[in-house]
Amino acid sequence: MARAADSGAPPGRQWRQSTVLLYLRSLLALAIIWSLIALWVGNHVILPQPTSVAYELFRLIASGEMLVHAAVSLWRLALSYALAALIGIPLGLLMGLWPWASDLLDPVVEILRPISGIAWIPLALFIFGIGNELPIFIITYVALFPFLLNTMAGVRATDRTLVRAARTMGVDQRTIVRHVMIPSALPQILTGARIAGGAAWMSLVAAELIGAPSGLGFAIEWYRQLLMTPKVIAVIVVISLLGYLTDRGLRWLQQRLTPWSTGIGANP
Amino acid sequence: MSQPVPSGPKLRLDGVRKTFTVPRSGATVVAVETADLTIEAGEFLTIVGPSGCGKSTILNMLAGLELPTEGTVAMDGRTITGPAAERGMVFQDYALFPWKTVFENVEFGLRYGPHGKGLSTAERRRRVARCVELVGLGGSEQKYPHELSGGMRQRCGIARLVANEPDVLLMDEPFAALDAQTRIILQEELLRIWGETGNRAERRTVVFITHAIDEAVFLSDRVVVMSAHPGRIIEVLDVGLPRPRTDATRTRPEFQALSQAIWNLIRDEVYRAATAAGSAGGARD
Ligand SMILES: Nc1ncnc2c1ncn2[C@@H]1O[C@H](COP(=O)(O)OP(=O)(O)OP(=O)(O)O)[C@@H](O)[C@H]1O
Ligand SMILES: [Mg+2]
Repeated sequence: MARAADSGAPPGRQWRQSTVLLYLRSLLALAIIWSLIALWVGNHVILPQPTSVAYELFRLIASGEMLVHAAVSLWRLALSYALAALIGIPLGLLMGLWPWASDLLDPVVEILRPISGIAWIPLALFIFGIGNELPIFIITYVALFPFLLNTMAGVRATDRTLVRAARTMGVDQRTIVRHVMIPSALPQILTGARIAGGAAWMSLVAAELIGAPSGLGFAIEWYRQLLMTPKVIAVIVVISLLGYLTDRGLRWLQQRLTPWSTGIGANP
Repeated sequence: MSQPVPSGPKLRLDGVRKTFTVPRSGATVVAVETADLTIEAGEFLTIVGPSGCGKSTILNMLAGLELPTEGTVAMDGRTITGPAAERGMVFQDYALFPWKTVFENVEFGLRYGPHGKGLSTAERRRRVARCVELVGLGGSEQKYPHELSGGMRQRCGIARLVANEPDVLLMDEPFAALDAQTRIILQEELLRIWGETGNRAERRTVVFITHAIDEAVFLSDRVVVMSAHPGRIIEVLDVGLPRPRTDATRTRPEFQALSQAIWNLIRDEVYRAATAAGSAGGARD
């Protein structure tokens, strides 16, 4: 039953290799332009050469310092992301399934949603101080809404005929929720998970810049104060790489869990 | 000519009227205008009529998916208040679960519904495999609906209905998306599943909707002809052709005479409906 989900494209290694090549080519072009601009700027603190960034990146990794920062950040991220999913998905189901729940919660969600996670940082500093709690609170807050809203919309968008079909086979409401509405909402829930992943990374760095004594965001701020720009950029490179890998992982999960959704557009 | 089966009417529509309120304008649409109909146990009944005359609405009420605005719909003398596994349905737009394979779709009712209670997993799988085979989908068990052609989807819907072994089979244009050859094969298959050659008392009850008049005559004991605007039953015709029906049935003069008679009824209705729709300035779906 494990089936490849890539639609039409030649599957497997060949495809992956050419993608890697495409990425490397673009990155090389970026590095060259960056290098030229750095030459023109001529100030190591404002814009160092990519080679010195690469060197610092290597040293940070070799000394183990990068690993420590990355591990702390990833741990906070994973915890908050899981919290957001655990709160957001059930709430989204509740609001999608029962009008009274959405009548109750919708105004609250609508009022909170436009407030950026960053806007809460000063207040969170009062409440939590500097430590783990602040970034965890901010990331959870930010990742919660994509989970919640996508789950709710997905459940609401369940095709009525499918529910009717299930009912003519005599199944009960629980089965309909479990085996019709949730699977039907799953592609949208997973889209929400990817949006939440992106938002979580962005808010992680923002929260750690100000409110944490460790982590990648903290490292950026620390080396900025020491005017060690190559190290600042080296940390940024790692953040970008980890963020990208997170999204690849979620995309892989999406294709694993909903192999059928790629062809949905072809349905009448 | 069809003899009533001793057990009495299986399904009964009693002064049934169904109206819908159009959400935005608040206007009332009469989908079915006072229909009275009894369907005997073991009977194969077909409903024909122009598009929009309320065929699907009647079927939905028999399924319990819609409740009549006035009157009652009953099965075995008990008023139908909601859907149940005894009344299975094939939907006009297939209604397959996109996230389930052909096999899992066919398995759905037995796996999660009351009709699979007491079946072992192996028995259930065997029955599902048999039904998949029956509609000619053997080899496509692991495909998802989006990987199937329209005709294959429809056959999957039929297999899903048959696998759940309902008492009453409600079929909304189940053969509409099939090519002519497959259609003929499946018509004969359906009659076999229904129990044409077997004991009368063991037949299930089938209510079948179609646009094809020859299909209606070939399959049914009785044909209900409906008219549109408002949807009402204008004629109920006994078919009376001997069973089992074969290719030879289609060439019999009674077959052709009856098909012609039904067509005459419907043709008038189609013209009338078309003129009515034209004067109302509305395009029909
Ligand atoms: N849920 C609904 N809301 C409003 N109007 C409806 C609804 N369902 C059906 N109708 C209307 O009731 C009438 C009968 O519809 P129905 O679907 O029963 O027709 P039908 O005979 O099955 O047509 P077709 O052959 O095209 O499938 C139509 O005019 C349709 O617009
Ligand atoms: Mg219809």
